[in-house]
Amino acid sequence: MSHVSPARVSLDPRFAPPFPQAAEQMLRNPQLRKNVAHAIDVIQAKRGKLVVEKTDWQELRSAASAIRFHVLDNLGAYLEQFEARCIAAGGHVHWAADAAEARRIILDLLREEKATEVIKIKTMTSAEIQLNPFLQAAGVSVYETDLAEIILQLGEEDPSHIVVPALHINRSQVREIFARTMNLKNLSDDPKELTNAARTYLRKKFLSVPTAISGANFLVAETGAVAVVESEGNGRMCLTLPRTLISIVGIEKVLPRFQDLEVMLQLLARSATGERMNPYTSLWNGVTPGDGPQRFHVILLDNGRSSILAKNKERQTLKCIRCAACMNTCPVYRQTGGHAYGSVYPGPIGAILTPQLMQMKHAQSLPYASSLCGACYEVCPVKINIPEVLLELRAQVVNQERKQAGRFFDLMYLGLRIANLIFATAWGFHAAQRMGRIGLRFFTRNDGWIHALPSLGAKWTQTRDLRGLPKQTFHQWWATRTKGEK
Amino acid sequence: MKQPVPSRQRILDRIRAATPSAASDAAQLAASYAELPRAYVRSGSLSAQARVELMIQRLREYDAEVVECTPAELADAMTAQLVASGRHRFVAPPGTPNEWLVTSAWKITGLEWTIDHGLDIDEIEKAEGVVTAATCGIADSGTIVLHHSATEGRRVLSLLPDWYLCILRASQIVETLPEYFSRCQQPPALHPSDEDLSLGTPTLATYISGPSATADIEMTRIKGVHGPRILVVIVVRDDK
Repeated sequence: MSHVSPARVSLDPRFAPPFPQAAEQMLRNPQLRKNVAHAIDVIQAKRGKLVVEKTDWQELRSAASAIRFHVLDNLGAYLEQFEARCIAAGGHVHWAADAAEARRIILDLLREEKATEVIKIKTMTSAEIQLNPFLQAAGVSVYETDLAEIILQLGEEDPSHIVVPALHINRSQVREIFARTMNLKNLSDDPKELTNAARTYLRKKFLSVPTAISGANFLVAETGAVAVVESEGNGRMCLTLPRTLISIVGIEKVLPRFQDLEVMLQLLARSATGERMNPYTSLWNGVTPGDGPQRFHVILLDNGRSSILAKNKERQTLKCIRCAACMNTCPVYRQTGGHAYGSVYPGPIGAILTPQLMQMKHAQSLPYASSLCGACYEVCPVKINIPEVLLELRAQVVNQERKQAGRFFDLMYLGLRIANLIFATAWGFHAAQRMGRIGLRFFTRNDGWIHALPSLGAKWTQTRDLRGLPKQTFHQWWATRTKGEK
Repeated sequence: MKQPVPSRQRILDRIRAATPSAASDAAQLAASYAELPRAYVRSGSLSAQARVELMIQRLREYDAEVVECTPAELADAMTAQLVASGRHRFVAPPGTPNEWLVTSAWKITGLEWTIDHGLDIDEIEKAEGVVTAATCGIADSGTIVLHHSATEGRRVLSLLPDWYLCILRASQIVETLPEYFSRCQQPPALHPSDEDLSLGTPTLATYISGPSATADIEMTRIKGVHGPRILVVIVVRDDK
């Protein structure tokens, strides 16, 4: 298949450059920044309008947060309950401890089906375990069916957002990709025509490929139901037409009861795409004779999640329902787009999720990819306190670094140890202030700002200016003021 | 299928070790679940008339076409929509009420009906339009709920044809999503009556909010990607 991208390994946190390095490259790409800013402005405006109209938004968030915490506290019981119900309804349940095991289970199932082709619904877990390059290397042709995923697959591009993964690509770039890979010379860049081209391209696949792979937005422990939330109908096609369906789902995705969907569905669409409800939501229990796939497999994926569960502050990361509201509101993401994060999970949630999924062995620069402004926490529909987790992870990164050989004489750590000594006493602090005022005077320009510092200080001033120190400290000013008024 | 038992055990052991405060038995779990805060709006506050109007308004915001009619006018309303669609080959679920077919499009020459008694996918794909009933309407979000009973058909039936006519009775419309879910809590009665509104927990469900859509290219909303590109809803005013 000439139009299927070759096996690529990209957005792998193990090999990605540190965030500041990757971000700098993105910042020099004005087209990308324009595309990202435009997309985000549109979603944010729609979301804002719909959240304001919802008078019980905060109550919904509180309920969602409590439900998700309750699930995590009792994850074992709910997973076993889901498993039993799913099996009773004719489904098969598999457990994958890590990405390699999940990939192997999927390939075994495909071999059993003698499948040489699969159609796919957009799924973050499959991207997380880098399923596509693996299957292609094993001789299985993979067809993404979500419009954005087709654009990425045909254009051999990386996703940059978890809900609208091709938001960094504009219409003329899409036109170029489709015209080249679908052999449509006269295609215009009208989104409607581009969408039609994708519809035609995929229709045959939907009707002929007998095996589909999906993720899931929710699992319901009470009933064994699986829920997939989507917009285009490609999901419904994959969930109903093939003979066999394989759903790969993170273990944290379970909800206690069917009724809990009333909370999650109200929050998810509004947060993700700024709609009152997404066009299509599908729910199914196992296998239904005469309707949809007659073989159904769920793969419950751990891949680092149970170790996140074990940590007090970090556990809340697993409440995430993957709505992407945090990246849409993030001032850092807005400037860099998603690729700089070097992970399939970009933005604030990616900054806390990725290093943890990597057991803090990779992606240690991500907890710093934030100004800690807190906007992500404010919009999060399940109230994940992302800044709190970022700070916790930063502390862990520092603790890891401290243990590294040679760090003892590192300029930064040496400086911080000296600062620790100086700030421990009032006289030391005041003396440092006086010396600082004298020293910094040499670098302070007439406008009262410091534009460039030498040595270690340059790390600060190369990206921002520093206010020169004032003539007196607050303490000094207060002392003179009270004297004068007495 | 062989279960990779070691991984299952390993994952569950890790989870158990990570959750020391987990409920020790089903009763404790249920008690802890019952304490979860649910201060959000559960039931609506609109009058019956306003509720139906909101549903229609929301559907129109999704670019769905909406027509209202009385129960007596349904056959004529359907006929008008089928003719106006400009399409000729239609499919319908096996439980489609006879009077829908016999008194409406049946008599119009040039319209071809196939009832889905186990049709091949190719045959459904050839149909240009589909007509089904619905289980529920949710006014707040303009959502149509299908539980895929015999009058709603299997899932693929309302998916492949490009033109979808859905018949929704006004008495099926609730205002809020939680109201729909509380109707699902009670098992449906053996002999359904007009007052009995319980729907039962579905084993298959599809929630449809407007025609299929995408905004993947520059956030420009395009109606109709893979599902039906045109959604027409007839709201039968059985509430008046």
